[in-house]
Amino acid sequence: MSTVTDMTIEQEAPAASAAGAPARLAARTRNLRKVYGTTVAVDHVDLDVPVGAVMGMLGPNGSGKTTTIRMILGLVLPTAGTVELLGHKMPEGASWALPEVGALVEGPGFHPFLSGRENLLRVAAAEPRLASRDIPRAVGQALERVGLSAAANRRYRGYSLGMKQRLGLASALLIPRRFVVLDEPTNGLDPAGTREVRAVIADLHAAGTTVLVSSHLLAEVEATCTHVAVLHQGSVVAQGGLAELLEAGDSGLLVATPDITVAVNTLRDNRIPVREAPTGVHVDLAATTAPEVVAALVGAGVAVHEVRRQRTGLEELFARLTQSAASGPQLSEVDSFEEQE
Amino acid sequence: MTTLAVDAPIVTEQRTKAPLGRLLRAELRFMIRRPRTLVAFGVLVVAPIVAAIAMSVASSTSASGDGGPVVDGVAALVTENGLILPVFLLMLSLAMLLPMLGAMWSADALAGESSTGALRGLLLAPVSRVRLLGVKAFGVAVVSLLAVVTIALVAVVAGLAILGGGGMLTLSGSTLPFWPSIGRIALLALLVTIQVWAVAAVALAISAATDHPLVVMASTLGGIIIFTILGNIPALDWLHPVLLTDAWESLADVIRDPMPTDGMMNAVLRAGCYIVIGYSLALARMSTKDG
Repeated sequence: MSTVTDMTIEQEAPAASAAGAPARLAARTRNLRKVYGTTVAVDHVDLDVPVGAVMGMLGPNGSGKTTTIRMILGLVLPTAGTVELLGHKMPEGASWALPEVGALVEGPGFHPFLSGRENLLRVAAAEPRLASRDIPRAVGQALERVGLSAAANRRYRGYSLGMKQRLGLASALLIPRRFVVLDEPTNGLDPAGTREVRAVIADLHAAGTTVLVSSHLLAEVEATCTHVAVLHQGSVVAQGGLAELLEAGDSGLLVATPDITVAVNTLRDNRIPVREAPTGVHVDLAATTAPEVVAALVGAGVAVHEVRRQRTGLEELFARLTQSAASGPQLSEVDSFEEQE
Repeated sequence: MTTLAVDAPIVTEQRTKAPLGRLLRAELRFMIRRPRTLVAFGVLVVAPIVAAIAMSVASSTSASGDGGPVVDGVAALVTENGLILPVFLLMLSLAMLLPMLGAMWSADALAGESSTGALRGLLLAPVSRVRLLGVKAFGVAVVSLLAVVTIALVAVVAGLAILGGGGMLTLSGSTLPFWPSIGRIALLALLVTIQVWAVAAVALAISAATDHPLVVMASTLGGIIIFTILGNIPALDWLHPVLLTDAWESLADVIRDPMPTDGMMNAVLRAGCYIVIGYSLALARMSTKDG
């Protein structure tokens, strides 16, 4: 039965998937769908979280972020579709995948009559990877890491919202993880706390941990993430590297000049799309490059004060994506309704 | 722990499950630390003492002969017959107090944990759903047993100390010596525990189906009240064999001499059916419950 060829196949299988490094995914969903009664919470979600990435899940409230995360973690059974977490099919592979996953989902869940430390000790007792003798030390380190050491022996009941959130973060970071999922981690945190969460995410990223963080705060995602997935009404409307997504937005060149009319005429003669802006002209770079534009302008004797690449902010990108997804039947209905009045 | 261990890596195990003993210990420690559990055990300790004192006062008043026939009857029964107190109290608390506590612990075990979000933390650790239900059922069963044992022990001590006597007067008129009486009390405690387990098993099934602990308490206690009413309607005697509460009266057979065992066996079998049905439903619900 166990021939030499069998063994080679078994040994090569994991190596082959590791060789295709870009294709390695910490989490992968295909055609994910969840229906609650008549409400479609999540539909056709194909999410790829690359290993080592900090993936920001962006979307307005009710866009299906938390439902998707709960399905990835095996807390909720999908109505249809598949989930793979760290290479294991969920929810069947939960015992193998989840010990390496730390998660803070839908806010922290602890008992008010226990202290922060006792709450963590209870969670730690259920951690498969922790040896019993290491539990107190792991709990101490996790509390230290989120800055709760001083309040560790106070009852959870008396914790502020921010402290509760920190304790939830501590339970996600009890042991070193391969994948950390944080659902709205900065909820209720003051600016200092928000910065600390960012620092924790940066630490995790530096250590090679994959992070999936959901948020409706655009600035937070732009500051911490390498990858973004934008959810809208239960569907992924865009995902990929943050830089590529922002590049893919219409990139333009803003040229500050007093000679607006001359500049516009020159560029139109060169068949470069251009429009007037308050302090100069805005050039569309879809068909040309910045040096060509500047050369044309200078050649025509236009006084160029400043040339600035106009980068699409995440906020603009987000607005465009969610608006274009919402357009179509819904908007036209509103339009026709207004016309009737 | 040595200083060397401080720098040692945190993760030293490669298993997919936490040790079962550790989970069970953590669950018991957690349940017993709950303020409501401590209050419940306070009641369980105080109630037998208060009952013993009340009976002692009643019997000493009637010693002067002006207590009326009823009080004289009670006095005659309990004077120098302290070991009847645990039997009284166990039968009395089985009617309402113990089912209520069993329902409360079952309600907290799943619905309560689910409403605080702590259940999610355990599922993410991960503790598999089947294992989690087993751990919860174990916790409820052990704490219920502790509750019954507490009543029995305190009542034995209070009965002997306050009411006196070294034996037990049976319903058949004979008197049992000390150790056989203790044996009968232990048997009754075991039978009562099994009945509480049956109530708790059904409550755990309801607990797996809701996020509101109060729903569990209300439906379990409501069910017991309805069962008791149905059990008292003679026209529904065809229904009585399936009612859990209908078998509880027969547990008083432990203070008959000789002891008839038919009723008790029936009660145990009935409770066993409820336990199997309760845990099966809980398991079915638990495996698809949203965490």
